[in-house]
Amino acid sequence: MSILNEWIVFDTNIWIFGFRQSPAIPACAQLLENLGRLRVVLPRQILQELHANLSEDEIRGLFRLLTRFSERLKIDWEKTKPEIITKYQRLGCKLGDAVVAAHLEELDVKILVSENRDFLEEVRDLPFRRLSAAQALAELEQSEK
Amino acid sequence: MNAKVDELAAEIAALDETEQKTLFERAAELSFRHGLVELSESYRKRLAQQGELDRTAEDILAKLRQIREEIAAREYPE
Repeated sequence: MSILNEWIVFDTNIWIFGFRQSPAIPACAQLLENLGRLRVVLPRQILQELHANLSEDEIRGLFRLLTRFSERLKIDWEKTKPEIITKYQRLGCKLGDAVVAAHLEELDVKILVSENRDFLEEVRDLPFRRLSAAQALAELEQSEK
Repeated sequence: MNAKVDELAAEIAALDETEQKTLFERAAELSFRHGLVELSESYRKRLAQQGELDRTAEDILAKLRQIREEIAAREYPE
């Protein structure tokens, strides 16, 4: 399976660095530009974090954009299972990271794109791969060749 | 404007089915990118007004970690 046909989750930092057009991490904005080529899941925890960072108008603008790719986008407002959260906490994750990891596992998502290098670094045998924005872009380019 | 739209529509109608599909996909992609640029500009303008635009990546990540923990603690209280 390639990044083109796997469901993936963008961590909140990918969205925020992308909207900021952070010069230190240009790959985030480039990845957002390619959203229409990917299959992206937005789980509840990421949605809540976006709500905390964006104004109401900005959230509305984002959803207007995302609905253009409704067949390539899953928005999941369901809470994740406490027992999976607990599993990741026992593996050493903080609560918030455990929630995100639990969402991915429960939704059977195989790729997490994040610029947080410490995120889940201590956890072995994750059921999904972690990629930086630059790595995700490189995989996308490779897959399209 | 209408004449220009009619002219474009005639040009598109003259394309074969595959070319039309490619054209519509490309137009959707460009339209999405324009929307993304608008959203990003609006966000950056608000951050600049709040003096938040020039924060370092590490600062931003730290703030995001804090927000993550606050939301998770609210959603999944022990």
